[in-house]
Amino acid sequence: MTGFLQNTFNGLVGGAFYALLALGLAVIFGMLRVVNFAHGAFYMLGAFGAYVLLAEAGLPFGYALFAVPLALAGIGMALERALIHRLTRLDPLYNFLLTFGLALILQDLVKWRYGVQSTPYATPPGLAGTVDFGLFTFPAYRVFVLGFAMVACLIVWLVLARTRIGVVVRAATERPDLTRALGIDVGRWITPVFGAGIALAAVAGVLAAPMRAVNPLMGADLIIVVFAVVVIGGLGSIFGSVAAAFAIGLVQAWGEAYASQWPIISQITVFVVMAAVLLWRPAGLFGREENPA
Amino acid sequence: MIAKTLRAGAALAASALIVAGCGGGGPKGAADTKISDGRIVLGVLNDQSGAYAQLSGRNSVKAVEMAIADFKAKYGDKAVTQNIGVETADHQNKPDVANTKAAEMYDRKAVDAIFDVPTSSAAEKVADVAKEKKRLYFNVSAATTTLTGTKCNKYTFHYAYDTYMLANGTGKTTTEQGKKNWYVVYPNYQFGQDMTKSFTAAVTAAGGSVVQSDAAPFPNTSGDYSTYLLKAPTLKPKPDVLGTMQAGAELVNLVKQYNEFKLRDQGIALAVGLMFLTDIHSLTPDALAGTTYTDAWYWNYDAENRAFADKFLAATGARPTFAHAANYSAATQYLEAVQAAGTDDPDALVKALEGKSVNDFFLRNGKIRAEDHRVVHDAYLAEVKPGSEVKEDWDYVKVLKTIPAAEAFRAPSADCHLSS
Amino acid sequence: MRWLLLAVGAGVALWLPNGLYAPVAVEMLCWALFAVAIDLLLGYTGLLSFGHAAFWGSSAYVTGLIAINLGWPFPLAVLAGALAAAGLAVPIGYLAVRRTGIYFAMVTLAFAQMVYYIANEWRSVTRGENGIQDVPRTLFGLDLSDEYYFYYAALPIVALGLFGAWRIVHSPFGRVLVAVRDNPARARALGYPVHRYKLLAFVLSAFLAGLGGGLFAMAHRFVSLDTLHWTTSGKAVIVVVLGGIGTLWGGVVGSALIVRLEDWLAFSGFEQVGLVTGGIFVVTVLLFRRGIWGTLARLRRS
Repeated sequence: MTGFLQNTFNGLVGGAFYALLALGLAVIFGMLRVVNFAHGAFYMLGAFGAYVLLAEAGLPFGYALFAVPLALAGIGMALERALIHRLTRLDPLYNFLLTFGLALILQDLVKWRYGVQSTPYATPPGLAGTVDFGLFTFPAYRVFVLGFAMVACLIVWLVLARTRIGVVVRAATERPDLTRALGIDVGRWITPVFGAGIALAAVAGVLAAPMRAVNPLMGADLIIVVFAVVVIGGLGSIFGSVAAAFAIGLVQAWGEAYASQWPIISQITVFVVMAAVLLWRPAGLFGREENPA
Repeated sequence: MIAKTLRAGAALAASALIVAGCGGGGPKGAADTKISDGRIVLGVLNDQSGAYAQLSGRNSVKAVEMAIADFKAKYGDKAVTQNIGVETADHQNKPDVANTKAAEMYDRKAVDAIFDVPTSSAAEKVADVAKEKKRLYFNVSAATTTLTGTKCNKYTFHYAYDTYMLANGTGKTTTEQGKKNWYVVYPNYQFGQDMTKSFTAAVTAAGGSVVQSDAAPFPNTSGDYSTYLLKAPTLKPKPDVLGTMQAGAELVNLVKQYNEFKLRDQGIALAVGLMFLTDIHSLTPDALAGTTYTDAWYWNYDAENRAFADKFLAATGARPTFAHAANYSAATQYLEAVQAAGTDDPDALVKALEGKSVNDFFLRNGKIRAEDHRVVHDAYLAEVKPGSEVKEDWDYVKVLKTIPAAEAFRAPSADCHLSS
Repeated sequence: MRWLLLAVGAGVALWLPNGLYAPVAVEMLCWALFAVAIDLLLGYTGLLSFGHAAFWGSSAYVTGLIAINLGWPFPLAVLAGALAAAGLAVPIGYLAVRRTGIYFAMVTLAFAQMVYYIANEWRSVTRGENGIQDVPRTLFGLDLSDEYYFYYAALPIVALGLFGAWRIVHSPFGRVLVAVRDNPARARALGYPVHRYKLLAFVLSAFLAGLGGGLFAMAHRFVSLDTLHWTTSGKAVIVVVLGGIGTLWGGVVGSALIVRLEDWLAFSGFEQVGLVTGGIFVVTVLLFRRGIWGTLARLRRS
């Protein structure tokens, strides 16, 4: 029982990372109709940001958790204004390609400066112990990650449900034509929302730094899994993306634990599920059928 | 209007790039057209932008350059030639790129001998190229025993280490020290599987047993090893040691999480299949304190090693890994052989090198075996110091014992038929 | 004008391995096919496949395995590989064309990643990370070991592939594809089974990519997992965008440039290849969307 609980908890932690990334991706897509290929790169920059703050300015994790996402959100917004914005009136494929190119550049810039060898980032001292849940114990830091991620998702949900900007984002995401027809000015919210999406990716990156190897390639393969996750959840559905993210995290953890003789299971599960979803509910589990573009 | 002209200009300039590639065309012909007399060219082919860029990479090129400079200084006017150059290329850890680059080096850049080549699949490919073009190849950074097995050939030498050495050093010695029950986690690809096989054999021969071995997905996108770490203490019998065959970034991940889950406190020690000084630098010694592994060479082992390491530090700003030292040594031995033979003809050099005993700062009690071109030498069982014991930068390791050359490497394999 | 260009192109193609290192010239041929395959989908059907490496790579593996185990002459092996790729494209395409635009791109990317992981795991066949080595290159006894001669042996296959693509585009089928690209709803209203046309275009494109992949396997005499990796798919897209989407020949030009650029970068010691390729790509997407061929064509017209 202990093992099962531990693995489940583990799956939720993994799912938390997918959720933060999927959430950011979904929100950016909702507002800008841009699938941000560079999302993985910003996740990586978040982790590196934490490392740089610690290694070169001596500022610890807690500081990084708030400063890095803000800084990267700023950079993201600048990129959006300068580059991405230029292509919004075109087929969204061009922005997809643009963000792909940006991802390559960001990745290699970091490679250039820091090399490919992973750089170390210690677990923050305050979070280094274990937590006893009675039935099982778990590293405190991972508990923190899950907690923080859930709080972040909750905050985003509150913003979406209760604030004006949230209403605009939801309207733009789920009923873009209607929103425009009603004369709602979506335009001025685009850049801040992009920044918010990037901030979420950066938060995921900072949270990942103590847990995973900080290296320039850490976001590259991850982003494809996140793409599959949002296809499963339904790109137009913010809730769907988050739900699918946690579900996939769980399935992967269980797969690794209980089907360890077939390591491939945890790797391709997400894609098999995606294939199944495409067959039976092409719009995603929670998505709404979009007009064929 | 300006924009249009700019674009046109850019378009044409880009197209001109192809034309700029001219040269090196035409059929190769049967004869070796490009061994240029009066000039010796050493080629360093390795990963300069990927996972192995720091353990070898550009600093290995520096090491070879240092070897050349020292050789020239040693022989002065009596050197067989002063015209010695270095060519380098990045194979990006991709076997097909390695294949192309190796062929280009031999054909287009007049390279007489290729050095380094990490990543087992790339290393094997270059062995094929060396055999086809009948040029020398000193592999330093790859681990696969196939280089002295099914892929062995007359022109290929396996210089620094291999999976057998790693397994028998770490696996055997750790078991003999009392850690009998092993749990092995390995990356699910060729290298990981070979290492696991070697380790299992070594551990069993020493009286231990591998309780369980689990393949982690490779590449491990999630970067998460918690499932295995959670599993370890629950195995029956409880393992004394976790053996990890992960390398590079994956090793860093796993070790971080090993510490997070406090496995050492639960009585499960850590043994690492393949570790480089740069990995310890990445993780910081405290993360790896107490871990044992087999090292082909350590910079602070004695004064002779230190002397090289000081020169290296001055030239590159970092201490050398065993790969850097081995590249220097291999380049030096190659040049010495050329000096002695008076020619850079590969066949003559092969004859000169086979069976030769060598002793330099890297090869202690070294010998270049004629049967399979395996270069054997003493290896070392090493342990990572805790941060508190580290007195100077990069001095992360203490050498526990020396593994004599005869023990460190396996007997020549029946798979190797050198005459072909 | 068109005939002049064709003559110049043919001339360059015939001369190429005399001016360039032969393996690089052969590489350009393979990537030309890959690029044209992508352009067929992207430029003419309006579908961005970001996972075409699945077909390039699977064809490479099948070609290599057939050559090693059955000893077929290389054109037959390559053909078999391309057919295998087309076969693989049927189920993937069937599922993928249910989505459009960006979704299609993401779905193809994800499926290709799945193929990559499966190939990685199916070690008994693909030899995993080690790859398949020593692929024999035979053509009824001719000695093709020198890449220079292999170039000329491969050239007819490439020419046929390119011609095939050109024929598809300039055919009624091709026109329907363009109609589907421009206004799928109208095409459907006119009675065309849009999904089926897309699927057919997808499969044909996979066949072409497979042709390139099979030749790639023959050229390198080695097949690795890299042929299935999404960065290979990405490179193909970069090539097409750089050359010019919807121009077919732009793909040929783009592939020549990128292959040459990467070759030069690797030898010049500049490690950050992605920085240069990514930079060029970003500039192209922002300022230069017609690509080289498209821009030159435009200039000629104005």
